Amino acid sequence: MKYVDEFRDPVLIEQTAAEIRRLAHPDRIYRIMEVCGGHTFAIYRFGLHDLLPANIELVHGPGCPVCVLPMGRIDDGMAIAEDPAVIMAAFGDMMRVPGQMGSPLERKARGMDVRMVYSPLDALKLAGENPDRQVVFFAIGFETTAPSTAFTVLRARALGVRNFTVFSNHVLVMPAIQAILDAPDMRLDGFIGPGHVSAVIGCRPYELVAQDYGKPVVVSGFEPVDLLQSIAMVLRQLNEGRAEVQNQYKRVVPWEGNPAALRALEEVFAVRPEFEWRGLGAIAQSALKLQADFAQWDAETRFAVSGLRVTDPKAAQCGDVLKGALKPRQCQVFGRECTPERPIGALMVSSEGSCAAYYEHVYLRQVAEG
Amino acid sequence: MELRFYGTCTLDQDGCSTCQDLAVPVRVVALNGSEALVEDRLAQRAWTIVDFVPDAKVGDILLVHAGLAIGRAREEA
Repeated sequence: MKYVDEFRDPVLIEQTAAEIRRLAHPDRIYRIMEVCGGHTFAIYRFGLHDLLPANIELVHGPGCPVCVLPMGRIDDGMAIAEDPAVIMAAFGDMMRVPGQMGSPLERKARGMDVRMVYSPLDALKLAGENPDRQVVFFAIGFETTAPSTAFTVLRARALGVRNFTVFSNHVLVMPAIQAILDAPDMRLDGFIGPGHVSAVIGCRPYELVAQDYGKPVVVSGFEPVDLLQSIAMVLRQLNEGRAEVQNQYKRVVPWEGNPAALRALEEVFAVRPEFEWRGLGAIAQSALKLQADFAQWDAETRFAVSGLRVTDPKAAQCGDVLKGALKPRQCQVFGRECTPERPIGALMVSSEGSCAAYYEHVYLRQVAEG
Repeated sequence: MELRFYGTCTLDQDGCSTCQDLAVPVRVVALNGSEALVEDRLAQRAWTIVDFVPDAKVGDILLVHAGLAIGRAREEA
């Protein structure tokens, strides 16, 4: 296939869906986790869940960085931004994530200087434009985004910028997958691996999942035929008793990843001993902080960060949804107290959060249809 | 090879972290050191850093995320 139209070709979609129905043995249930929030969004947007037989269950994974950020880190970031000398720069979706004292957007409405940026480089530019202020970049994201932050820190050092720091909340995909695999109530059969994270880290890290846990991993693109092909590839492996890493998204993902980006990550970041994930708890070696050499660009060194742990709202069952134990709609506050307009749980905040995607593309339609 | 083969994201819609794992496919129009002028499928243009795709050439399709190119389109292997 050479064009995206083919990846959305209704005939090809139906053929691949028919292949999946043929592969799915009626006497067993297949639970497949798509790790990446972008895949969750695409599955709902294109209605792919409607094409699958009932015994294939897609479990939405922890791949949305705003969704897994614990409330305590938002509050820590906001505590930094309370200093009137500070300009806090953050990606758009961070703005609506609820902390104990409100979301960054609500705090901005009350006078805090919080600005939305598209790239960490924009935050560095803000520092240049505001030499008498301290610009703090609230960094979030998996390995797709961390290289941009690493590059920006390297540039800040090269330019000798003194009024720019990074509050790093970058997290790593593999430790999260491992934590899910190690959970006692884990019932997954295979994984759809993230697409653009893998453009950076490559496919090799997932070999652990295949070799040590015996679960197939297929790295997938984001178009309907990509995802259906990947599901078929997982089914084929399961039916044949194989557990391998396969790359469906070869047109973007090299097996070895992006060596230049990986080098920058290694130079700038160190792995934290542990990091708190919303819904999954503390996971060892699952997040990145700045290396000691870059301490002067590290917000956690420059500012007092309390590191408070805040219990997530009990009413929202984000953790159970993240682990695949509950479907979004089975959460007790879904669609009533917790909506995209007023999220309680983090999975409702970003459009790639499994609850927000389900609400937007399935729930509202069902409500409209009565 | 068409840009759309690599996804439908455009430079103006990748403005926030909802796209954490989505990259914008763009074509390199011009190069200036480690920066490239790139164009998306709607012909919107922006400068992007290409340090992580060091041998990028005019005409290449790159994947841009948060202001930096993180990868390059590959021929079907």
